[in-house]
Amino acid sequence: MIRHGAAGAISRRGRPRLSLNLTPMIDVVFQLLIYFLVSTNFALGEQVYRVDLPNREEGASDPFAFDEDPLRIELVSAGPPESGLVAIRLEGPWPRPADFEALYEFLESRRLDVDRPAGLFAADHPILVDPGPAVRWDRTVDAFNAAVRAGYTNVGFANEP
Amino acid sequence: MSVVHERGHARIEANLTPMIDMTFLLIVFFVLVSRISEVESVPMELPRPVDPATVPPPEEGRVVLNVLPGPDGTVEGYKVGAAQFAPTPDGTAALERHLAGLLAQNPDLDVNLRADRATAYADISPALEAVAAAGRIVDRGATRINLVVVNDERRSPSR
Repeated sequence: MIRHGAAGAISRRGRPRLSLNLTPMIDVVFQLLIYFLVSTNFALGEQVYRVDLPNREEGASDPFAFDEDPLRIELVSAGPPESGLVAIRLEGPWPRPADFEALYEFLESRRLDVDRPAGLFAADHPILVDPGPAVRWDRTVDAFNAAVRAGYTNVGFANEP
Repeated sequence: MSVVHERGHARIEANLTPMIDMTFLLIVFFVLVSRISEVESVPMELPRPVDPATVPPPEEGRVVLNVLPGPDGTVEGYKVGAAQFAPTPDGTAALERHLAGLLAQNPDLDVNLRADRATAYADISPALEAVAAAGRIVDRGATRINLVVVNDERRSPSR
């Protein structure tokens, strides 16, 4: 009797025919494939702020020198480092924002726009975030975010920490 | 593949070997890709700004600079791919040379900076300086750096 496709089938001459059943292996292989497909997306939700660091040399003439005084946002640690408390100060005759939301509102309200000709700073006005050495990175990013969110395109970091 | 029997009946069999070959190649590919991702994505608590005005990260032409967090807001070092650099003047000088080498190979390279939210700016500033200095070495007008954060809302920028 000849049985086609069955494992260990007996051929016409009576010798057993060995065949390998690959189906379970292929199943496992596809399971692994799906696992790796799913698990490779490590950077879920990560996004970026783009900053151009001008290549300034000490004492050299700077082709990227600002044509106007940058608006400097100074951050000073106002408590233990783990508390993340910072004092925000704007260089110049500006009020001190109480928090980063107030900083955003100030920057947004002073931005020069077609609808707002009374604004003071153009969207490409240079803004420098100047964090103190002890300021946590997330507070620095909050200040950066306030400026970018307010519509400014030329936001960078002060040179000295 | 069909085999002609002695009696003349055709036996139809599927040749699974090429499919298995391809499957194993895919597995090797994904294993390698996941290892590369692991090297680039050092586990840390990235900043999570409120109402983030972020953009999606570039898909190509970027190198990831990880600021490795230590205890109490300090850093243990800087990591680019598998290369690690100490948070000392010698280490940051080596980091600068390493980045300059990468920028020389690909002038359009972006640098993605990943740093823990609790790290003090004093320890991140040397990394920013190293990126700018590497750009000076290869004489780029400005070096593009991307500050990596977590966008919980994952929405497009408001402007």
